[in-house]
Amino acid sequence: MIHGIRTFLYPACSGNDMDFYLQQLPQQLVNGLTLGGVYALIAIGYTMVYGILSMLNFAHGEIYMIGGFVGWWVLHLLIGESGPVLHVSLVISLMLIIAMGMTGLLGIAVERFAYRPLRKAPRMNLLLSALGVSIFLQNLVLHHQGAKARFFLVSSLIPESLRLFQVGEVVFSFMRILVIVVAFLLMTGLTFMIKRTKVGKAMRATAQDIEAASFMGIDVDRMIVFVFLIGSALGGAAGTLVGLLFTQVDYYVGFQAGLKGFTAAVLGGIGNIYGAMFGGILLGLLESIATTFFPATYKDVVAFVVLILVLIFRPWGLMGEKVPEKV
Amino acid sequence: MGPDGREGPGKSLMRPEIAGIAWSQRQKAMGFVLIGITLVIVPHLMPNNYWLRIYGMTGIYVMLALGLNVVAGFAGLLDLAYVAFFGIGGYLFAFFSSHHFDIHLPFPLVLPLSALVTMGFGFALGAVSLRLKGDYLAIVTLAFAQIFKLLLFNLDRPVNITGGVNGIFNFDPIEIFGFKIVSPIAYSYLIWFLALVVIIGSFRIKRSRFGRGWEAIREDELAAEAMGVNTTRMKLWAFAGGAFIAGASGTLFASFQDSVFPNSFDFQQLVVIYCMVILGGMGNIVGVTLGAILLSILPEFLREYGAYRMMFYGLILIVLMALRPQGLLGEIGFLTKKMKRPDKDETGVLKASTDLYYDVDSMKAPRKAGYSIDRRPILELNNVTMNFGGLVAVDHLSLTLREREILSVIGPNGAGKTTAFNLISGIYPPTSGKVLFEGTNITGLKPHQVVEIGIARTFQNLRLFNKMSVLDNAKVSQFCRTKSGPLSILLRLPRHRTEERETEKVAKEMLSLFGARLTGYRFDQGAMFLSYANRRRLEIARAMSTNAKLLMLDEPSAGMNPQETVEITEFIKALRDIYGYTILVIEHKLNVVKTISDRVIALDYGRKIAEGSYEEVASNKQVIEAYLGRKKN
Repeated sequence: MIHGIRTFLYPACSGNDMDFYLQQLPQQLVNGLTLGGVYALIAIGYTMVYGILSMLNFAHGEIYMIGGFVGWWVLHLLIGESGPVLHVSLVISLMLIIAMGMTGLLGIAVERFAYRPLRKAPRMNLLLSALGVSIFLQNLVLHHQGAKARFFLVSSLIPESLRLFQVGEVVFSFMRILVIVVAFLLMTGLTFMIKRTKVGKAMRATAQDIEAASFMGIDVDRMIVFVFLIGSALGGAAGTLVGLLFTQVDYYVGFQAGLKGFTAAVLGGIGNIYGAMFGGILLGLLESIATTFFPATYKDVVAFVVLILVLIFRPWGLMGEKVPEKV
Repeated sequence: MGPDGREGPGKSLMRPEIAGIAWSQRQKAMGFVLIGITLVIVPHLMPNNYWLRIYGMTGIYVMLALGLNVVAGFAGLLDLAYVAFFGIGGYLFAFFSSHHFDIHLPFPLVLPLSALVTMGFGFALGAVSLRLKGDYLAIVTLAFAQIFKLLLFNLDRPVNITGGVNGIFNFDPIEIFGFKIVSPIAYSYLIWFLALVVIIGSFRIKRSRFGRGWEAIREDELAAEAMGVNTTRMKLWAFAGGAFIAGASGTLFASFQDSVFPNSFDFQQLVVIYCMVILGGMGNIVGVTLGAILLSILPEFLREYGAYRMMFYGLILIVLMALRPQGLLGEIGFLTKKMKRPDKDETGVLKASTDLYYDVDSMKAPRKAGYSIDRRPILELNNVTMNFGGLVAVDHLSLTLREREILSVIGPNGAGKTTAFNLISGIYPPTSGKVLFEGTNITGLKPHQVVEIGIARTFQNLRLFNKMSVLDNAKVSQFCRTKSGPLSILLRLPRHRTEERETEKVAKEMLSLFGARLTGYRFDQGAMFLSYANRRRLEIARAMSTNAKLLMLDEPSAGMNPQETVEITEFIKALRDIYGYTILVIEHKLNVVKTISDRVIALDYGRKIAEGSYEEVASNKQVIEAYLGRKKN
């Protein structure tokens, strides 16, 4: 993913010249918004799990990566010798749906086998188990798919005329718009579900107080499963979207993306879904603007430094609330 | 156990196997000789150089795992930047003894130098991430590890510092006092000698004030702080200690491999080291050593399944956390001596210890001469206010506590009693107002400083160090009275030994005030196995072991049955009358309040609504209203 971004987006930017920067700004905003949408989708998975179990689902990055692989696999199946066998929109929808379905199920499996047995255990054990899941999934994919990146044959999917177009100075690509739109739709759907449906209400109650929720007749276990399903599915969708955008996926992308998603979640205030959306977009914008100032090799450092600063100075995030420890 | 340990009130309570200790020391010496012989012989038994290298790597892994065991095992800090310290140690060796910068320092200088520099990095990381706990600490340290790796990869331009992807290689051969260390056998000796040093050091530090302080932090950080452990400093020491060992291991590793490159210090390596520590059981030195040996050698037998290696490590973590989070060796009986069960008689029937633990005769004795309430004030609160974002939990509270006085604080739930305790003990700094102890301003001091100055507390909802033994719980409290640093602990300097004896003496003395309930075989029992009432007693004994003058007891009789309540009531009185403590107590049982109090204050909605003798307060109209509600006119 990192390579993809670098070569795809920033072939020209090296100067720190202010004029150059101002010229680049609108383009960077668009790029940042795309990246931000992806980060937001990943961050939601972290924040939902954290909100309900107060645990850091370390394996979420790998689920994102597997989402990318599933998307690639579906695309690979649906592209024949002379282009896609189905309509483009159908292909992309199928990629997303199948990737979301598979990663959702994977999320449930991870919860069932690695986290549920530890529900009452100290938090450190949970985190270590999550670390184990992460390493396991990563190396499972490495073993199964090899270390080489898989390429999304986007060129045969979308006609040349649609791929890139320019509005003024800013270059849009079809995929960029697709990513923004899909991310926006998914987040709207999630917001609606949480705010307006019965399940959403139950989820909010469980996140507030898991014990009280269970006393009020909410099947807490089912809520947790549900949270893993939705969070992982969104992570899987992000994986596929990034695959379409940067046209490649490999076994190692989950690690970085996971850290970025977590950074976004913390930036917005972990446990807060809207915070995660906001934090994702903010981080995307920050990163893409920062690339005009720093050499591209140090781009990731930006996210890490943001993460460290936020956690040290405002661990409850930009939108979260400080809760004093009860003694 | 020194001669002073046998005097004093703890005399009859000493562990019965004093003779056994001498025997076990001989056993220990035998053990050392055996280990020494093994270490001399084993390298010569290796079939070829390949296995000799594995043997050497195993020693490095033992050191690494034990270093991580200091941070993650002893102190419970999930440090995911650990592998970066290993890397720093390695690269430092590359900088200091190769043609890369053309610096050629001798190895006996490079080894401590790079360990110390790495330790400095450990301090720095600790200082930055001090306020973080659990998951947040893990993720921040992981981010640091990632930055470190990015730097390793990219700092070959514009100036070549790290050598980029290819790393640095071809180092000076190392030489120690004239002996050239070149052959794998020589390396094996060097590595395993240092590994042995680390193992012994681990044992020494674990059974010291440092080890107890870390364990207390791991069990309950807030309680540790409230018992006088300088948690900030101890966490820094944990990071630094781990980093020191990792730095030394890294230096050895670099020299052993004759090269360093970024991929030796990546996330996978970290997971391998974590697996070793967890497999052996966090904090369990023997276990971690065996875990490191097992996981270094086992993959060699499973070479044909090499591709599955990392998957296997992932599975180890998941399965162990679910089934045996204490590790393979944790809490296994065969390594520890079988305890006799003095709580059972010959027929195996449980003996209940119902004897009173305070001295009945001394209770009947008249109060010590000169005791009267109007002595000098020991604790003063001036208009102390605590505002939790709009909720005023304590509202302009003023009170004066005189020496050797028992002052009870009563009030309905949510009246701000416990918050007042938290303000005095420094857990929250008050929003405004002043707290004075013996005339000095202690407002805004940290809890451990408050303990050091002479105020100790208990917790309403019991915050014992559950996995630590009863004796160790009390010993933790002496942390702020002892000053030995890591050097005197590791070298067993006289200062450390004197302090250890003193610590043991005080802890046993305080526990013995509670008679058979906290002494004898119970010294070695885990706090979690005590009955509820005994846990309350241990809370008090633990607070007293800090050598405090002022005890703050938060509902000492909560959850006790009527007889136990009577006992604890008498005991609290004895604390004042016989041992001269000043006591501030929160209590709901009014008969207890009536019996023990010299004075009573009533709080409601954070304000003081009444003050005076029990009778005055109990008949105060506002107090009755606060408890029962206003009468309908």
